[in-house]
Amino acid sequence: MSNLLLLLILLPVAAALVCYFVRSSAVRNLTVVATGAVLTLASVGLLAQGAFEPIAVGSILGISSDFLVTVLDFALLAVIFFYGLKHKSLLIQGFTLAQAVLLAWFEFISLKHEAVPALMGDQLTLVMVLVISVIGSLICIFAIPYMKEHEEHLHLKKSRQPRFFFFLVLFLGAMNGLVLSNNILWMYFFFEVTTLCSFMLIGHDATEIATKNSVRALWMNALGGLAFVIGMMLVYSETGTLNIAAILAAGPQGALMVTGVGFLCLAGFTKAAQVPFQSWLLGAMVAPTPVSALLHSSTMVKAGVFVVLRFAPAYVDTFLSTGVAVCGAFTFLACAALGIGQSNGKKILAYSTVANLGLIICCAGINTPLALTAAIMLILFHAVSKSLLFLCVGTIEQAIGSRDIEDMRGLYAKLPRTALITIIGILTMMLPPFGVLLGKWMAIEASADSNIFIVIMLAMGSAMMVVYLARWAGSMMGSREEGAKSESQALLIRLPLFIICLAAVALSVASPWIYNSLLAPWLGSAPFTVGFGSLESAHGTFVVVPLFLVLGLGLLYAVKAASGYRKTRIMPPYLGGANSSVDGTYVGPMNGDVPFSAGNMYLGELFAEGKLTPICNALAVALIVLMLGGAL
Amino acid sequence: MDTLILVIIGLVAGPILGGLIAGLDRRVTAWFQSRQGPPIMQAFYDVAKLLGKEKMVVNQWQILCAWVYLIAAATSVALFFAQGDLLLIFFVQAVGAVFLVMGAMAAKSPYSQVGAQRELMQILAYEPVLILVFVGFYLVTGSFSIEAVWSQEMPLLAKMPLLYLALGYALTIKLRKSPFDFSTSHHGHQELVKGVLTEYSGPYLALIEIAHWYETILVLGLCALFWHTNVAWMAVLLVATYMLEILVDNTMARMTWRWMLKRVWVLGMGMSVVNLIWLYAG
Repeated sequence: MSNLLLLLILLPVAAALVCYFVRSSAVRNLTVVATGAVLTLASVGLLAQGAFEPIAVGSILGISSDFLVTVLDFALLAVIFFYGLKHKSLLIQGFTLAQAVLLAWFEFISLKHEAVPALMGDQLTLVMVLVISVIGSLICIFAIPYMKEHEEHLHLKKSRQPRFFFFLVLFLGAMNGLVLSNNILWMYFFFEVTTLCSFMLIGHDATEIATKNSVRALWMNALGGLAFVIGMMLVYSETGTLNIAAILAAGPQGALMVTGVGFLCLAGFTKAAQVPFQSWLLGAMVAPTPVSALLHSSTMVKAGVFVVLRFAPAYVDTFLSTGVAVCGAFTFLACAALGIGQSNGKKILAYSTVANLGLIICCAGINTPLALTAAIMLILFHAVSKSLLFLCVGTIEQAIGSRDIEDMRGLYAKLPRTALITIIGILTMMLPPFGVLLGKWMAIEASADSNIFIVIMLAMGSAMMVVYLARWAGSMMGSREEGAKSESQALLIRLPLFIICLAAVALSVASPWIYNSLLAPWLGSAPFTVGFGSLESAHGTFVVVPLFLVLGLGLLYAVKAASGYRKTRIMPPYLGGANSSVDGTYVGPMNGDVPFSAGNMYLGELFAEGKLTPICNALAVALIVLMLGGAL
Repeated sequence: MDTLILVIIGLVAGPILGGLIAGLDRRVTAWFQSRQGPPIMQAFYDVAKLLGKEKMVVNQWQILCAWVYLIAAATSVALFFAQGDLLLIFFVQAVGAVFLVMGAMAAKSPYSQVGAQRELMQILAYEPVLILVFVGFYLVTGSFSIEAVWSQEMPLLAKMPLLYLALGYALTIKLRKSPFDFSTSHHGHQELVKGVLTEYSGPYLALIEIAHWYETILVLGLCALFWHTNVAWMAVLLVATYMLEILVDNTMARMTWRWMLKRVWVLGMGMSVVNLIWLYAG
């Protein structure tokens, strides 16, 4: 068992070192693919063994592992401080220094060192390990052909791929470590490693804008790290233990501890890019697409929601819980609204990620078994669908040279396969019977019990998300010339796209069983019963499998009907006059061809990013202050 | 077994009733305008005629989207008759709405593109109100499933009057009736150009028409839930509501989407929220 755990954490570290030091692309590619395969198998193996009690790690090479983590912690802070100096960022320097001082005081003065089992695995952990290891690996594999082409575009003299894959693969190990930690100090260490990795990856292209955005990401996450240290110290001062399992079992213990957990949640907020911290994730868009895919689906932001969700039992039924729910719901609404004004595909995805993370955090705050189920369902299915969409946007961007959805109009004509997969990906994000919608359904049903403000925010946000996703999917559809050239894709691009697309659909079908075998044992009282492939609760019923059958068969019939379209008459669209022989024009005055075009409505007057962002940020700061202050 | 029979009744009776209502709608409208109007069965004749026409499309997406729209609309009605989960019914209905929009966007036609954008605005307006109405159902009955409504002693209208008004508001938009019919707005006062429907013709337009009948039944079904205790009063409520819809349809001019969003969000959501607060407090 513990071998499997060490494999999940240490193999990526070893593979990262190989990628960095062996400067041969063949070795690197093989390492990445092999690591991905082993990680996938290991995570499935861990799942097969099921949840386990906290276990001790002991010593590595004769050095106590706790001591090792402490040393690495300070080394890491030193590295981050160095980058703060290098980029002349006082914020990074200040936050890192404060962390180092507090941590030193905590470790050497106030902490009574006792043996804490370092790793644990409940069902939440198992789901996270699965998401990180499988989705993360697929993204790393996708990155192999992607980065090759990316560097060809940039005309680099010396390849920077060793460095890139070092941090990409290391990220997976850090994430696995984070979700498996039972010692809160270990969790903090891995939390900081993900901060460093994301900083390095965002700034990878080393352009001015990339550096600027990576520095912003670093200072915001350093703030999160500081909040983590403060939270950790407050929690320790009240409970006297670093053992997360013991902290959770004890439940909310007095104002000081709940405030401490509040700070831990704040750390989670920064990492999950909740408003007002969303700007670092949007800035992270400058990084190569595999990085965005990784940050948005299986790592980084998921670390944020994981922390909030992990400590949910420690603040259940407190004011903090309501505060977390309101903050999450507000982020959901704000980012759903901000998404409407965007035409940049990656930005739309970014806002939709932040919105969905807000929903997950809102569910953690509602803190009922139903809501927690919704949160994990959303984590799982959002990771699958969002990674797919990012990889699609990356593929499209390399093919057409733009990530603007207006430029993707009628993309089906040029890239039928990619367009189709993207459309499927978008549909799995917003429509039943797919998993993300299942999670949203659970979230809304769970919120009906809690608080009217939360319900209203979820209702509005949910409608807004439909608008920008539907509009995008629709505009990619279009006519394809008969006998047009078929689309070519590299195998390592096609395979991840295909696998993730299939997973998005297949996992959704399996959701009742995923719930039964994984989530129900995790929750004290299971909110759903499974019957006839449906999830039934006291609140209502989601008929998963029957709906899949009906809508699936219906879709098959529709596809069959549509595939015979060559037999019907293909007509040019109506243009209010005579169509000219040239596509996209009509016969106008003087018998000239007049071109026409149509664009999406982005509702700039209501949802302009520049206008809305400051208001949302201010409100979010107020809500967070309220959340932390009220916890005292 | 009972559920299955109910589902079949819903699937069969849905379009028949929907078509009749469409016919009645035209008769009453004609009466308002001192015309005689077409026979009540006209809606069926129209659809039959459309089904017999030659198939013409701009591309295959339209065929796909028209079919999915119909299937989703029928499924949502089936779920309604199976006493399913209100939120789920609503989300299945949204599948149809989204596919209608996507089908309109698939054609490279400015008219259907504009129609699709406006339809999205309509979705943006009615969706939150509908969700809040369903939350109201939950607060009264303790469940989102329709089954729970039948165990109530009192008609729901007594506890959620403002939510009923908000629902009526949302449904006017959903049924694309004036003043909220801008996603299917006409062009040059002829029925040839109709926003999202511009590029649909012949059998595919017929599919959309049938799907619309299903939607009408779903909408009226939701209204019927507000007076489940007595069939007669339920009928009175439905007739009154639909007559009011026709009256509004014929007396109001079409408005812009800005007007709609502001009105619906402020007035529709406002009424919903006030009513929900009563329920939370109670």
